[in-house]
Amino acid sequence: MTFRLTCPVCGKRDVYEFTFGGQERGPRPEQDGLSAEEHFRWTQFRLIPNEPQEEWWYHGQGCGVWFKTTRDPGTNREVK
Amino acid sequence: MSWLRPSRLWRAAPLKRHYEVVIIGGGIHGLATAYYLARTHGIRDVAVLESHYIGFGGSGRNTAIVRANQRTAENVRLYDEGLKLWPVLTDELDFNLMFFNCGNLNLGHSEAAMNAFRMQASTHNLLGVKSELLDPQQCADVIPGLDISDRLAFPIHGGLYHPPGGIVRHDAVVWGLAKGASEHGVHIHQGCEVRGIDTREGRVTGVRTSLGAIGCKRLGIMAGGYGSAVAAMLGIELPIHPLTIQAMVTHPFKPFLHHVFSSGAYHVYANQTLKGEIATGAHMDPQVNYTTDATAYYLKHQAEALSELMPALRGVRFMRIWSGLADMTPDMAPIMEGELGCDGLYLDAGWGYFGFKSGPVAGKYMAEYMSSGERPEILRAFQLKRFLEGRYSGETASVMKYGHWD
Repeated sequence: MTFRLTCPVCGKRDVYEFTFGGQERGPRPEQDGLSAEEHFRWTQFRLIPNEPQEEWWYHGQGCGVWFKTTRDPGTNREVK
Repeated sequence: MSWLRPSRLWRAAPLKRHYEVVIIGGGIHGLATAYYLARTHGIRDVAVLESHYIGFGGSGRNTAIVRANQRTAENVRLYDEGLKLWPVLTDELDFNLMFFNCGNLNLGHSEAAMNAFRMQASTHNLLGVKSELLDPQQCADVIPGLDISDRLAFPIHGGLYHPPGGIVRHDAVVWGLAKGASEHGVHIHQGCEVRGIDTREGRVTGVRTSLGAIGCKRLGIMAGGYGSAVAAMLGIELPIHPLTIQAMVTHPFKPFLHHVFSSGAYHVYANQTLKGEIATGAHMDPQVNYTTDATAYYLKHQAEALSELMPALRGVRFMRIWSGLADMTPDMAPIMEGELGCDGLYLDAGWGYFGFKSGPVAGKYMAEYMSSGERPEILRAFQLKRFLEGRYSGETASVMKYGHWD
């Protein structure tokens, strides 16, 4: 089954209108003094347990807004 | 008439409270590793823990395609050995895996794609793997009904034909490996979900499961697309995105499609099963998830792609659709690692699209790794630390553009 996400502007819309922007992981680390290893760890390494996570989505085929929502990777559904 | 009586392929075994080796995941990677541990390395005190039933995950959900036409030498070497294992295993396991080496045709839809294929074919030929370039007419000769006109949105410029590839019956592989592992003393526990991993003083000591705690000296995480969720139990971050990938079958036809064909530009790969259905797989869903959700979106996508490439298929009906997980790494190559900061812990994950075709050979080398503690030479290219050193495999230089994470 497909599912819907809640766009803060357009309301509930089909997931295929959106682009997945990945987990919310806080601000990008400061570049000054950042080692190559820390850089690669930040860009590629993730902890993805089977439990709800806060993530970014882009409503590319709608209003064009970036927003955060909490979704459960075990069910695909948003969690409020 | 005893041969008519159905017999169990593998034995039910009592759940012991301690094993030498515990493997998380009863798919082909886990079962193959257990099989080779017991058969080749004499480690028979092995349990394979499967949360659902064996082959529930990617092992039973892929489109059964096998091939060895990867982009880089280190990958081609591994997959070529894997491809040559199917007939060997059929014999060894005394079980018909229905290996059909009908050949694969990858379609190219631009001159840039043909140039990439040219390099890919050179790599294959250098390593003794058969591959050749075909022009559009030759593609149509191999795959009748292919539209090689310029009516397509992405006209066919040619193809990379790989004769030794083909299809293998994926359920048979799961059952055959379970049979082989069980005959060598491996315990297979279905309906046993791992909920936690215990360590003490930097060593793995066991797992907590839905059937209670089970101790072990060595632990293999071979859970396919669920590998990142299992690693997360230990707080191990991985460069892996688990994504659903959908597949479907049409109603059956008389045999007309005698080879596997695929197109990166159309995100479609297809073969005709021995039952006559066209089995076809699509692109991945965009968001990380551990579900088996299938959607109408991809039915439409596949119908459009297949009927444009092969107009005779217009009006054909899909009978079933399903999905499984692909654990994508940034460089489209797997992670086989025993240095995870915890003694006795081994990880076999990140196979992405390629977990089925690689199952037995990955099991063979993971068994060698887990029994000796020494990393086999052929696995040197698949260490986790390559992602921290910026030494990605060149696999993404293949024609397919996979996604935003590569």
